[in-house]
This record gives sequence, C-alpha cells and structure tokens, in this order.
Amino acid sequence: METIIVLVVLAALAFYLVAIYNRLVSLKNRFQNAFAQIEVQLKRRYDLIPNLVETAKAYMSHERETLEAVIAARNQALAGLQAAAKDPGNAQAIRDLGSAEGSLGSALGRLNVVMEAYPDLKANQNMMQLSEELTSTENRVAFARQAYNDQVTAYNSYRQSFPPVVFAGMFGHDQDAALLEFDDSAEIRSAPKVTFS
Amino acid sequence: MDFFGAQDDARRKTWRLALLFGAAVLSLVVLTNLLVALVYGWAANHTRPAAFDPVAMVAALPAEYWAWISLGVVGVVAMASGYKYLMMRRGGRAVAEALGGRLIPPSTTDFRERRLLNVVEEMAIASGMPVPPVYVVEEPSINAFAAGHSPDDAVIGVNRGTLEHLNRDELQGVIGHELSHVLNGDSRLNLRLIAVLHGILFIGVLGRGLLYGVGRGSRRRSGSSGGAPALALGLGLLVIGYAGTFFGNLIKAAVSRQREYLADAAAVQFTRNPAGIAGALKKIGGLGSGSRMRTAAAGEMSHIFFGAAGRMTLGGLLATHPPLEKRIRAVDPHWNGEFVVPAATPEPAAASEAAPEAAHAAPEGVAFAAAPLPSGTDGASALEVHATPEALAATVGRLDDRGLAEATRLIAGLPAAVHDAAHDPFSARALMYALVLDDSEDSRKSQLEHLARHAEAGLPETLKRLLPAAASLDEQQRLTLVEMAGPALKQLSSRQYRTFMDNLAALITADQRIELMEWVLHRLLVKELAPHFGAPKIRRGASGHGPDPDCVRVLLSALAREGGRTPDEAEAAFRAGMAHMGLEGEFDPRPDPDFRRLNDALRALRKTAPLKKPRLIKACAAAVTADGRVSVREGALLQGIAAALDCPLPPAIYRA
Repeated sequence: METIIVLVVLAALAFYLVAIYNRLVSLKNRFQNAFAQIEVQLKRRYDLIPNLVETAKAYMSHERETLEAVIAARNQALAGLQAAAKDPGNAQAIRDLGSAEGSLGSALGRLNVVMEAYPDLKANQNMMQLSEELTSTENRVAFARQAYNDQVTAYNSYRQSFPPVVFAGMFGHDQDAALLEFDDSAEIRSAPKVTFS
Repeated sequence: MDFFGAQDDARRKTWRLALLFGAAVLSLVVLTNLLVALVYGWAANHTRPAAFDPVAMVAALPAEYWAWISLGVVGVVAMASGYKYLMMRRGGRAVAEALGGRLIPPSTTDFRERRLLNVVEEMAIASGMPVPPVYVVEEPSINAFAAGHSPDDAVIGVNRGTLEHLNRDELQGVIGHELSHVLNGDSRLNLRLIAVLHGILFIGVLGRGLLYGVGRGSRRRSGSSGGAPALALGLGLLVIGYAGTFFGNLIKAAVSRQREYLADAAAVQFTRNPAGIAGALKKIGGLGSGSRMRTAAAGEMSHIFFGAAGRMTLGGLLATHPPLEKRIRAVDPHWNGEFVVPAATPEPAAASEAAPEAAHAAPEGVAFAAAPLPSGTDGASALEVHATPEALAATVGRLDDRGLAEATRLIAGLPAAVHDAAHDPFSARALMYALVLDDSEDSRKSQLEHLARHAEAGLPETLKRLLPAAASLDEQQRLTLVEMAGPALKQLSSRQYRTFMDNLAALITADQRIELMEWVLHRLLVKELAPHFGAPKIRRGASGHGPDPDCVRVLLSALAREGGRTPDEAEAAFRAGMAHMGLEGEFDPRPDPDFRRLNDALRALRKTAPLKKPRLIKACAAAVTADGRVSVREGALLQGIAAALDCPLPPAIYRA
C-alpha cells in the first residue's frame, strides 16, 4: 500500500521536476533564438561600417586616427558578437559584446562630430545613403535587443522564482542570463546622421 | 481523399486512438497487478523459497490492494499523459524545441537556409495556409517533421543533413509531404499520440528510476536485503514498461503508417514531380546515417518524421513508416532498385537564393515563366470566372502544381521592398500597419501620428519608406503578405506583440469605419499569432455539428453586400448563397459597423464539422460568383474568410 502511495507521490514529483526542467530549457531556447535576430542586425551594421570609413577616407585624410579608431572598435565588436553568438547563455560574453558595442558607438559619435567640418562629405550621395542605412539598422538593433531582453527577463525571473530556484542550479541553469545593454545607448542613437534640409 | 475527408478521417482516428489507449492501459493495469501479487507473495514466503505457487500468490493478495494498484497505475498514466498533453498544447514549437531545433531567422542569408525558407514559403502560400516557422535540428541524417494543432501553430523542422544533401526539387518533395500532414490534420493527431504514448511509456521510466534508486541505496548500506522486493518491483515495472513500449509502437504503427503513403502521394500531386520525393527517399537509402535521429526525444515522436527515426524491429510490424523501397516504388514504379549516395557537400547552385531579394528570380526547378502581376491592379477590376462554387470548394486544402505556380508568380510579383519587409520582425510590423492605413489624407495623418506616439523608435520612418510600394498592392497581395509575415511576427517578444496588436486595432478603428478587407486581414493575423503568444484556444464542437443558420445569414449578407453593385444584385448574391445551404433567411442590407456580429458568426461557424464545411464554403463561393464577376477583392475576401474557417484555399482558383 505504502509503496503505491510512494510511487504516485514520486511520479507527481518527477513530473513537477521535469516540467521545471523543460520550462527552463524552453525559455533558454527562446532567448537564444532571439539573439539570432540581434546577430543578423549587428552583422549588417558591421558590414556597413567599413564602407562608411572607406567613403569618408577620400574626404578626410587628416582624420586618420578617428577612422582607425572606428575600424578597431568595429573589429572588436565583431569579435564580441562572434563569441556571444556561440553561447548567448554566457553572461560574460554578452557583457563584453555590450561594452564593445558601447565603444563602437562612441567611436562613431566622434566620427560624427569630426564630419561636421566636411560639408562635401556630408553632401556625398553615397555617404548619405550609408548614414541613412546605418540609422535604420540602429533602430532594428534596438528593437531586436528589446525582444531579446524581454526573453532574458522572462528566463531570469522564472529561474529565480520559487520553487524553480531550488532546482535550477541542479539542472545546469545556475546563472542568470545577461541583458544586452550598450554602454552608451544615447550616443549610438545619434550615430552619423545627415540632416536633409 | 479530399481535404474534408482527410480531416474527418483524422478525427475518427482520434477515437480509435482513444480506444487503443484504453486497451493498453487496461493491459498495463492487469500486468502490474500480477507483478505486485508475485512480489508480495514472494516477499511473504521469503523464508520458504521452495514453495513457489503463482496461483496461490495471486489469490493471496488482498482485494483492496488490487484496487489501489489499479488506481495507482491509472493515476500515473493519466498524470504522465496529461502532463505531456499540456506541454503539447503549446503547439508545434514545443515539439521542435524538445527535439533541439533552432529557429531559422526569417531574414537568414545562409544559402541553404534561404532556399529552404523559400521552398516552405512558396508551398505554404500555394496551399493558402500561413507560412510556418522553420527549425533546423543539428543531425547529419536526412529527415524532417511537421508539428502543430492547426496550420496556424504548425512548424516545420528539418535535419541539417536534409539541407546539405537534398537539391531544390527534393526539398520540395519533402516539404510537400510535411505540409500535407498539417493540412490533413495528421499533425494534430500526432501531437495527441505523443501525449498518449508518454503516459504508457512512463511506467517503464518509473521502473528504471526505482531500479536506479534502489541500486544506489543498497550499495550505500552494503549487505542489507531490505531493497530486494523494491528491486524486484523496479525490474518488473521495467518489464511492464517494455510491454508499454510495445503497445505504444503498435498504436503508432496503426495510426501513422498508411498516412505516410498519402502524404507522399500528396507531395507528388503538389509538385507534379515524382522525381523530387523519390530522389529524397533514395538519398535516405544511400546515406549511411539514413533518416536516423540520435536525440533521445525522437523515440516517442518517431511517428512525426518524414523517414523512420529508428531501426526496424520485428519485421516491420511496429514500424511507423512503410519500408523505404515500398515508398519509392509507390511514387516511382520504374525504379531500378538502386539508392543514391548523396555527394558530401553539393555546391550551392549559384547565389540565386543567397539573399531574400533573390527570391524574386524564378526559382530553379520550376518550369514556367513567372510573369509579374500587373502592378497597381485596381481592387475592383473584374476577373474572368470559370470556376463554379463546387469547383471552388473542391480546391480547399489542395496542394497542386497550379497553386504552386500561382504562389511563385504572386511572390515574384511583390515589390522587393515589401517582400523583404515581410521577413524581418522590425519591418514586418511596419508593413502590417501599412496594409491597413487609410487612403484619405486626413485619417492617414492621424494614424501616422498615433504610430509616432505609440510605436517603437524608427517605425514611422520605415513605414513611410514602405508606403509607396504598399499603396499599389491589391487585396490578393495583401493577403499573401499577411501569410508571409507570420514567422517574422512570431519573433516578437510578448510585450512587443501586445504593442503591435494594440496599434493595429487603433489604426483599423481610427476612421470610425472598418472595411471588410481590413477586418479579414486583422482576423487572420489574430488567428495566426494568438496561439503562438498564448491566447486561449478555441474549443472545437462535436463532429455532428452543422453550421448555425443565423450565423450563415450574417456571413453571406456581408459577402453579398461587398460584391453587389446595387442592393438588388447584393440580395441576389445572398439568395444564391443561401440556396446552396438549403436555407431560408432575410438578407441583411445594413452594414455591420463594429463587426461584432460577423466576429461572433465566424467564431461559431469555425466549429462546424469538417464534412459539413464544404457546403458552407460552396455557399460563400456562390454568393461571390453570383453576378458572374469575381474581383480581386472578392477573391481575396473569399480566401480570407475560408482561411478563418480553417479551410485553406489556394490562391490559384480565381485565375483558373
């Protein structure tokens, strides 16, 4: 008799644990899938930047340092993206990507300031198009980032809730996933912008 | 078998499934009882091992034990099945996730992934169902699956090996096979089957756990023999578990094998190209890993796959799929019996599908010229109608090459800007907004202002860029875009989805006047997205349920009002529709300002039994074709309303 009761209780417990485990896996899957969306957009952004620098080079040969800083920051951010894409569950990789993105944002911001002194460059058709595309990509990145952060928040808050918090570590979900924050979001939003007036 | 017949058949199979399930549970109950009786008797007579008398042992077990044990088994099975059923309610993506699938982003630029997405998209649009999200499972073998309760929450999954080894024609064959499972209601049946099997198999899992636990426990307290009965019980449960597996596989085989032939045949009908699916099957035979799945989760889901997921046992009695040779012969009678060994890495054939834009080129392997649609088609322009209402209803859920040709033409005719926008979550929202914007300057201005205040950053700019292209779209194209944007929109987070839906509703109601087409588009979006974002599902009615006459009257009145140029014409259209239903009723000439009545009517009509639906679709078609003209708008309306009634209608019919 006791065996039967124990069995049924065991079964119920097992289901509960399996349910927690599955929920964790599925929430993790979801934020990792959401990261793919960011990856697509960031890649597009990183592909645009060399073209932008190439176009700018023709006009501003004296600003080599600024341009090189942009390229260096872009390369670092690209490396950060590749590392994060391999394992979006790795909080450190996400934070690294966030700060690399932040530096890239400020490098672009400086370029933007410098460009003010070159009205020819600003009027360049190619440049206008690139800036326009870059701005629209920023918006896409921000949107994808919002989706990602929403999913990460859902994962983290489930992981920290009771009772899952008791078992999460056992199931290999011992760490909160990191929100993707760019250090200098304000500056990014004002990345090279050409006013059409 | 046509669409409605297949649906009905799937339903009847559900009953058979329940019966088999009951039988399996009963056997498990009896087996477990016998086992416990033996263990109990053995434990009681432990001191005299010589006196082994099974009959006496069984008789010695107190009656209340029988009751408790039976209750325990039924309880455990019910719990396990119920749990899995709840999991499966989340739809196709729960299955894809359980199998370790990774969602392909709709905007992917990888050549093979792009090609797969294009194939899925063309075929889904060809059959009039929303485009399903596609997952990749990292397995080297060639296999694929479809899962979902309905076309709305369906997903397609393919193995990495499928992407690498199959060419476009073969992919078409495989995807056609999978989509036909979704359309025929097999995939819903399969989800239920997974839940049922889980319950039956669970006893074995429990036995394994008990064995493991006891084994560890007794090792710790070395020498104690107290664990012996528990050990025997665990072992016994494991044996019963194997019996459960046997029953489970028997059920799977009974339900699924025949349907695989049907799906193969449907794939051939879809593409008019038996070489496609036959080629895929031959490559499975030629590939070392064949169609085997390594992930453990594939075991209880083996019946949802394109090819057999495991090895064949017991001479194929328990096989979920017919033997490969037989399947190949069924589609290719002249087969010489040789499998094809797929090349290790076939080269991507040019970069024709490397980017989303490239989909505009006529895809290789489709043998017709893709003539772009005349752009800026006036929504009221009439089309030649050759189709009778009967012929229209017969195309519901049908996959054929004409639909595929039409879908390819439709996709190729879309302006590049809107086509690309439909594949990206960010711009897909903008595109949906653009589709419901008003023509009049004033209300459009207030709509844009609303978006500037309530939508995410950058959206108004994207919207403005899309507007010129979106303005020239006809209703058919709008409908196609709604179906196409599904996978991208399903990538929104719940918060973004709520914002999107709120904004969409605000835009539609902004001008105090909702147009029927706007309403249909909105209806389809909700139907497509709500299950994904966890809204409650509609419960289906009993299978004898016919359409409610008053709901039919409301629906046909709306269609007739839209189609007739004069009140008399509209009334005639209404009468034609009602005559098909064999119903009498008053035509309702008043427009339905808030669409509440139409909403309720459609919700009720959706529950109509499959075999009673053709008549309903015929009646709608009759109302639309009554005046001998079908405009693009009317055609799209009919298709949209049919889709809202779960009757996917291919786009080809209006240009028959």
